[in-house]
This record gives sequence, structure tokens and C-alpha cells, in this order.
Amino acid sequence: MIRTEKLTKTVPTSEGLLTILKNVDLDIAEGEAVAIVGESGSGKSTLLGLMAGLDSPSSGDVVLDGNSLVALDKEERAILRGQLVGFVFQSFQLLPSLTALENVMLPIELKGDPDARNKASNLLSRVGLEKRWHHYPNQLSGGEQQRVAIARAFASEARILFADEPTGNLDTATGARVIDLLFELNKEYATTLILVTHDERLAEKCGRKIKLVAGEVVSDRKVEEITHE
Amino acid sequence: MSDAALTHKRSFLSLFRLSLTLLWRDWAGGELKLLFLALVMAVTSVTGIALFTDRLEQALLLESANMLAADRVLSGRQEVPRQWITEAASQGLQTAETISFTSMVFSDTANLLVSAKAVSSSYPLRGELIAADEPFIRGIPVEGGPVPGEVWLESRVLPALDIDVGDSIYVGEAELRVGKVLVVEPDRQQGGMVDNAGPRLMLNLADVPVTNVIQPGSRVSYRYLFAGDEDTLDVYGAWLQEQSEGQSRLRDVRDESEEVSDALNKAESFLLLGSLFAVLLAGVAIALTAKRYSERHYDYVAILKTLGCTSNQISVIYISIQIVLAAIAIVVGWFAGWIIHHLILQILSSIIVVDLPPASFQPFIIGSLTAFICLLSFALPPLLALRHTSPLRVLRKDIDQTKIGAHVPYIVGITGSVFLILWYSQDLVLTSVLVLSVAAITLFLSVVSYLLLRSSSSVGMKAGSAWKLAMSATRRRRKQNVLQVLVFSITIMSLLVLTLLRTDLIDDWQAQLPENTPNHFLMNVTQSQVEGIQNFFDENGIEQNIFYPMFAARLNSINGEPPRSRFFDGEEERGNITERGAQQAEQGDADDAVGQESASEGSDSTGSRGRRPTRQITWTDILPPDNQVIAGQWWDANTPAGMVSVEADYARQLGINIGDEIEFEANQQTFTVAVQSIRTVRWDNMQPNFYFIFSSGTLDHLGATYLSTVLMEQEQKILLNDLLRLFPTIIVIEIDALIEQIQNIIAQVTSAIELISILVLACGALVLLSCVNATLDERFRENAILRTLGAGRKLILTSLLIEFASIGFIAGIIATVGAEGSLYYLQEFVFEQDFHMHYWVWIAGPLIGMVVIAMLGINSTRRVVNVSPLNVLRQL
Ligand SMILES: Nc1ncnc2c1ncn2[C@@H]1O[C@H](COP(=O)(O)OP(=O)(O)OP(=O)(O)O)[C@@H](O)[C@H]1O
Ligand SMILES: [Mg+2]
Repeated sequence: MIRTEKLTKTVPTSEGLLTILKNVDLDIAEGEAVAIVGESGSGKSTLLGLMAGLDSPSSGDVVLDGNSLVALDKEERAILRGQLVGFVFQSFQLLPSLTALENVMLPIELKGDPDARNKASNLLSRVGLEKRWHHYPNQLSGGEQQRVAIARAFASEARILFADEPTGNLDTATGARVIDLLFELNKEYATTLILVTHDERLAEKCGRKIKLVAGEVVSDRKVEEITHE
Repeated sequence: MSDAALTHKRSFLSLFRLSLTLLWRDWAGGELKLLFLALVMAVTSVTGIALFTDRLEQALLLESANMLAADRVLSGRQEVPRQWITEAASQGLQTAETISFTSMVFSDTANLLVSAKAVSSSYPLRGELIAADEPFIRGIPVEGGPVPGEVWLESRVLPALDIDVGDSIYVGEAELRVGKVLVVEPDRQQGGMVDNAGPRLMLNLADVPVTNVIQPGSRVSYRYLFAGDEDTLDVYGAWLQEQSEGQSRLRDVRDESEEVSDALNKAESFLLLGSLFAVLLAGVAIALTAKRYSERHYDYVAILKTLGCTSNQISVIYISIQIVLAAIAIVVGWFAGWIIHHLILQILSSIIVVDLPPASFQPFIIGSLTAFICLLSFALPPLLALRHTSPLRVLRKDIDQTKIGAHVPYIVGITGSVFLILWYSQDLVLTSVLVLSVAAITLFLSVVSYLLLRSSSSVGMKAGSAWKLAMSATRRRRKQNVLQVLVFSITIMSLLVLTLLRTDLIDDWQAQLPENTPNHFLMNVTQSQVEGIQNFFDENGIEQNIFYPMFAARLNSINGEPPRSRFFDGEEERGNITERGAQQAEQGDADDAVGQESASEGSDSTGSRGRRPTRQITWTDILPPDNQVIAGQWWDANTPAGMVSVEADYARQLGINIGDEIEFEANQQTFTVAVQSIRTVRWDNMQPNFYFIFSSGTLDHLGATYLSTVLMEQEQKILLNDLLRLFPTIIVIEIDALIEQIQNIIAQVTSAIELISILVLACGALVLLSCVNATLDERFRENAILRTLGAGRKLILTSLLIEFASIGFIAGIIATVGAEGSLYYLQEFVFEQDFHMHYWVWIAGPLIGMVVIAMLGINSTRRVVNVSPLNVLRQL
């Protein structure tokens, strides 16, 4: 489903070129749930951004569902994102001017689907927010906002879900509930999940754990293998 | 429709719906409200002013038609071929003719030289004749002029000839009955000197052959009047030019009646300038608010992009928002502009007496285009930058947005606005004032900011801690602050220019015709009559003024050379009431005077044809009011006879300098005088003014007639009858109606000017507000951080106060310089005023800038310090 080939990202700084990611080779199959772990600054978000086509690599390539991202321009990548990818972010990233329902409807409407309202309200019910349709993000708690964001991520019938520290801004209990929801839906929709996290327990819920250190993959193992050791 | 197309359409509709939702929901956010207000301001001022000028133009056309008694006039000293007139009629134009000549008229007991005007039965084509059945009353409008066998006389002719309405008089060989008293004749001010030499007698064109006064060689002025629609008139005008091989031209009245149109022209320029400033300021406000709006929307765009929105879709969303916003603003602006123009018309209603045709659509179109060009120029660049927002922002907040060619799109903005201003004003001078002053300030500040950026070393760090904080804050936001200074300077400059110009214009007008300006000229007074007239006025409690002795003298030579207009050869000289009046007084010598003096026919150009200009000269010890000596000295007790003071423009025209010897000829005598001073004269003050004033004793009083002025109220005017009975030979020129008209115009025009000043003031306030708001976000963040670091509220407030005050102070200085520069340019080239420095502004400008900006800044940033720092940091 996702394949990276010698993915490298360098950025120019005042002290010369800084390499954030170095020759990352990954192959993630459809339906897999992958955790990307690593210390702060190790390049997790950068990797996520590259795999989702939000940014373009300095060298190497990402192949998303058979589409080489390097061959696509920004606009084509955006269209591909619209069809294929959903996001959940640490800081929720809901549009503050839209209600919960409108936020969830947005990706469905953008696809030109006339049934947006129904689908969105079903999803909101699914994440337990059937009573909060017409509330704005600032009227919702962090956990509720993240649940709206999850509903939105699945709304577009995405086949790949990218989550960058989805519990980072939540307390442990709320975080746990949000994660349960995420995995439930993930199973239900059979999406491929890429989860960036610091949280080891969270990483354990995924079938596979990739560890980054200073932009390089230092370990890539199935979770069963890890627990066996 | 295919599935794909349907899906496409649906997604487009959902984008549009999203724009409407964002527009609606963001309204409370502030930027859109300000943006909307700025747009409304621009549309309102442009639509309002365009509507007003559009209708004013129509009103002036109508009024001027009244003043000509026609739409176009063909005039000359000769009769034109009959065919020219029949052609006009066959093209569908209305025609009329008048013949003017001077003639002696006789009653049984007296005779008088009158200015006769024979009119055809269709006269007047425009405007109306007002006549009465007895002299010295107001009269009523009448259809057509005198019938054959009848004459109409101006009131004062009746006492002079000792006759009543119904009596008969002789005009040449014809005996004609006095049918009516003529009170108003629409084209009385038109025509040359022949039309104005003496009181009016009007007769029917058919009686002219009977009088037998027009002989070969007589001085006669023929006027052919035409009326009809513009297109036909143009066609006929072209035909006529061709027919006459360019010798004859149809005239309209645009270039006539200077005194009245001058105030209106200046007011129109002022209104135009005001609306240009309004558009400029609205544009700046739009640019600022659009910039802040798009800054706040970077995150929106990043989110939308992660959801699969393409750059084009982003553009669709934000352009839709602007279009909807603009559409609403345009409608509101149309409405407000319509009200504004109505207010101005209301204020001016007593000037614009005619019924105006409805306004055309063009002002509304101009108003709408203004909104769109403003948006295109000022709002589109930052909004287009939005489409380049990287979706990576959802992962990293600090993605640098400013990198995106932030300056390039503004070139579009600048070009767009210059085009807008030029196109709207159709006035290169006004446009260049605006563009140059803004460009100069921008350039200056760019240099300053460049220098500041280079010398980033710490300045004044030893000062108190609030100062230290303010200084470091100012330096930190160097770029932003330079931008703020720029915006504040332009705003304050605009307001200063308009305020100063307004004050200068109004002062000037008020000085032109003060409250108690004398409104009657007494002319043709002999020396022996002076005392009697003075007594007459004393007895009737009417204040009187100097009696100027007056002489027509021919300018023979300057330093031995024949006079020749050096610079303005052929240019028509000013219509000067003294000279004009003098022509009327010259009745005994009318035939001679025609050739020499005919202000509207350009007597100076006769200089180059070998004739010498004749001027009304006087002598007095006292410098007349409104005269200013600009070179040499005015007389003192020791000044000998034989000196002359010359009017400045005339001196320049003829190349006369201090010490030059000028030879004059009068009464078959020649005499030479030396130039001792050069004076400026205020020609528009409706008072006796002279090109040449001699020192006392140069000429004796023999042969001079006297000129004086007197202020008579409406109810005192009946005394004129007694005065003329007592002194039948003097001539009274009544300019009270004219003076009242001009005073009235000035009062009305002043109100109109105040109105537009208020409008621009509102725009200025809007800009200041948006500019202060533009940095609010950053200040929130900074001050929250400072406060969590332990800085007290008071310290932060003081530091903010210092920061804003210094920005305001610097902006005030720059604005003052810019304003004085623009004013110089405007007053020299547009408003024809003498520029003088406004010294108080050099103090007031910076002070006002400092106080206003500091207050505005503190007022809007008070929230910044009052809000809990935790709240701010959590939000950001
Ligand atoms: N555009 C850029 N310019 C400069 N440095 C960058 C840029 N993007 C990323 N970096 C640097 O690359 C490194 C990796 O960043 P990244 O955001 O991927 O880390 P992360 O693993 O997600 O860290 P965290 O767990 O704190 O979110 C960091 O040191 C960051 O400062
Ligand atoms: Mg990260």
C-alpha cells in the first residue's frame, strides 16, 4: 500500500544542509497498522508528511497505492490525498468556523458526494457525538474535538489513515478512549494506519513498530516478535 | 450530464457553500467587517462623487445654456450668409438672431446713448426674459421679446429720458412705443463691449431697417443662436467650420462667466481629490485587512489541503468570499453614495436652480468597478498567496509563509490603483500628486528601513526599562513598524492635505467677497458731481468709498519700444470688472473705445497688429485693498509725480520692470512715467482694480471721470432712482445680484467640501484602526510571553504607549512634509492659489500623529494586557 524508496529529506539551514531523514526504505501492506516511534526531533512527523504527500522528498520516492508521489505535482498529490488519505493530528486541526457536523461533511462534500449529511451524521453518532452536531470546535473538549477529527478522517472513505500523536494533547484516560475508537474504526473500515507516537503502550497496539533515530530507521519489527523477546 | 461532470459540479457547489459559510461565520472575526467597511467606503465615495459631478455637469450645461440664451452661439462683426442659418433650420435646429449696436435715443426732453439689441421673434431659445410694466420692480417672465413697433427699456433709462411706459421715443429714424421695462435678459453678460456700453434698449429685429442706424462701417455685433440636441449641434458645428473654412466656430458658454464657474470648478476638483483620497485610504485599509485575514487563514488552507483541496479550489473558495463580499458592499455603497450625492445636491440646491435630468448609470458602474479594482489591487495579492500555503503547516506551525513572493503581487496592486485613480479622475495632475506623494513616502521609508536593518546595533539601552522594552519591541518588529509608519504617514498626510486645502480654499473665498462688499459701481462721475453724490449718500445713511479718478490712456511705449505682449500673445485677458465697467462709462467715445478696449475680444493681441492697448488708469495715495506690492515701494509723502505702479501679471506679460519708463497718451497729450512698484491685484474681488496707478500730481484732474463703489441693500435700491434723477449722467452698475450669487455659491460649496472631508476622515479612521489591529495577534503573543516572564501590566502598557507614540510621532513628521509638498503642487497647478507654508502644522502634525496613534494603539491593545497570559498562550 505504501512503499518508500531511499526516502531522504534535507533542509538548508544557516549551518549548511541538515539531513532530517536518511534513506528510509519501508513497505507497508494494505490493512496494516504501523506505529512510528522515536525521540523528539527524530524525524517522525517529517516522514509522515512525506508519506502523505504533504511535502516532497529531497531524494527517493514514496509509492502510495501504486502512485509514485515524485511523479505527481502538488495539485495531483492533493487530489490523491482527497481520495485516499485521512488524517488525525495532535492539535485536532478542525476548522473553527464550522460546526462538528460541517467539519465531518467537508471531505465528503469535496468529493461531490450528495449524501454528505447522512454519512457525516452517522459517523458522528458512531464516535458518540450525536448530540453535538451543531457545536463549534471551541465548544467541545479536546477529546471530543479529536473524536470529530477521527470521524472526519473516516468520512472520506480513506484507505490510509495518518495519525500524528493523536493523544498528545489529551489526558491519559481520554487518550485511551480516543485510541480505542481509532482502532475500532480502523478495523471496521479495514484502513491502513500509520501512527506516530511517543507512547510505547500505544505502539504496542499496532501490528508493527518502526523506530527512528536521527532520521534513520533503526528497527522495524512485528509487535509479536517484540513481545516474544 | 456525465457522472464525472455531475460530481465536479457538486464539489464546486460545496466549495461555494463553504465560502458562504466561512464568510458568514468569520464576520464576527473583525477583518471581514473592516474589509467590507473599507469596500463600502470606496464605493460610496466614488459613486457619490461621480453621481454628483455627473449631475453638476448637466446642471452647468443647462445653466450655461440659459446664460447664452441658446445652446450654441455664432457671433461676429459681420452678417453671415443666409444659407448658414437656413441650413441649421433644415438640420432641425432652432435658431434666433440678435443684432447689437449703440445708438442715441431721444425723448421730447432728453437724449441718451443706449446699447440697443434687436432680437428676432424666436429669441430667447433658452432661459427667459423678465419684464415689468413699471421701472424698478422685479417683473415677471414673459414669452418672447418686443413686437415690431415696440421697445423695451431698462429701468434706469426711463428717469434718464423722463418718460413712462407707453410713451414714444425715437431710435434713429424710427418712432417706437415703450412697451415694457426690461428686467432680466438671459445673455446680458455675453457679447462684447457693444452689448454693455450703456443701458439696454431692446427692439424687434424687423424694426432695424426702419431706424436706419446701421450704416456701412457702424459697429454692430451679430449673434446667431442655435438650440437642439447635442448630436445635431455637433454635426452642424462641423458643417459650419467646413463651410467657413475654419473662420467661424460655434461657441458654448463653458469658457465664459468665470466668476461663477471658478468656485464650482475648484469645488469639483476638491471633491474629486477627496474621493481619490477616500479610495486610496480605503485601498490601504483593504490591503491591511486582507493581509491579516489571509494570515489568519493559513491554517484553514493547510487543513483544507490535507483534506484534498487543490490550490485552484482554495482560490475558488477565497475569491468567492471576496466576490460575495464585494457584491454586497457595492449595493450598500451605491445606496450610501446615492444618499451622499443627494445630500450634496440638497446643500447646493440654491445654486443648481434648474431641474436636473435623472442621473446616468455610469457613476454606479464606476463605483462597482472601484470595488473590484480595489479588491484586485489590494486584497487579491495576499489572498492569492493563500493558495500557496503548504499543507505541512498542520504538522509544523512555523512553516515560513512570508517567503512566498509577498512583494510581487503588490506590483499588480500599485499598477491597478494608479490605473483606477487615473481612469476615475481623468485628471493627470491630481493623479500624479497622489501617486508621487505616496511613492515619495514609500521610497523614503524603504531607505530608512534598509538603513535600520543594517544598523541592528542596540540604541539607548541604558534608558529606563519601559523604554528598553519599547525599544527592543520596536526593533523586533522593525519591518512591521516601518509598514505601520508608512500607512500612518499616508493616512495622516491625506487628512492634512484635505484639511489644509479646505481651510485655504474657504479662507480665500471668504477674503474674496467679505460680508460687506460694495455691490454697486458708480461710474462716469465728473469732478463737480463728486461732492453732491457724497452728500446724497450721507443724507441717506449709506457708507461710501474712495472716488478713484479714472482716465483711459493709451500705452505708447516701454523704454521707447512699442509695447508687445511677450509671452501671452493672443491670450485673452482677464474679464475685469473695472475695465468692463469703464467700457460702459465710455459711451461718449464708444466707437473709439471698441477698438481699444474689449476685454472679451483680446485687446492685447491688437498690440501685435500695431494698435496700442488702452488701459484705465488712476492715481491715489492709498494702496487699494487686496493689492500687494511685490517689488519696489508704494508711494510715501516724498514720492514725486510721474511714478507708476504696475499690476504684476501685466508687467510680466509686457516685460515691465522697476525703473522702466512708460509713455502714455491721453487727451492728445503724451507723458512719461517711471515704474516704482509692481503690485499683485485680486481680480476676483469685484472691486475697482487697476493695471496702472500713478502717483499724485502726475495728471491733473481735468478730464478725468470718477469711479466709486457703494454698498446698497435690497431695500435701499429704490434710492438709485433719486440718484439718477439728480445725476442723470452717471452710470450705476448693479453687481449685487452677482455678488450675492457668488457668496451663495461659496457658502454652499463650503458645505459640500465639509461633507467630503468628513467622508475621508471616516476612511482615515478606518485605516488607522485596521493598521493597529493588523499587529494585534503578534502583540497578544508577545505580551503574554512577557507577562509569564514576570513583566508587570504597567510596564507593558507604558512600553506599548511609548512604541505607538513614537510610531505616531515619526508618521506625523513624514505626513507633514508630504502634505506640504502635495499642497504646494496642488495649489500651484490645480487650485490656483498662492501656496504658503502652514507653520503650525509642523508642530501640530507630529503631535496629532503621536497622540492619536498612541490613544488608538493603547485602546485596541488594552485587551492584550488585560487578557490572562495563559489564555493567550493556549489559543496560539
Ligand atoms: N523545514 C525545516 N527546516 C529546518 N529544520 C527542520 C525542518 N523540518 C524539520 N526540521 C527539523 O528536523 C527534525 C525532525 O523534525 P520532526 O518534526 O520530523 O521531528 P519529530 O520526530 O516529529 O519530533 P516530535 O516528536 O518533537 O514531534 C527536527 O530537528 C526539526 O527541527
Ligand atoms: Mg512530530
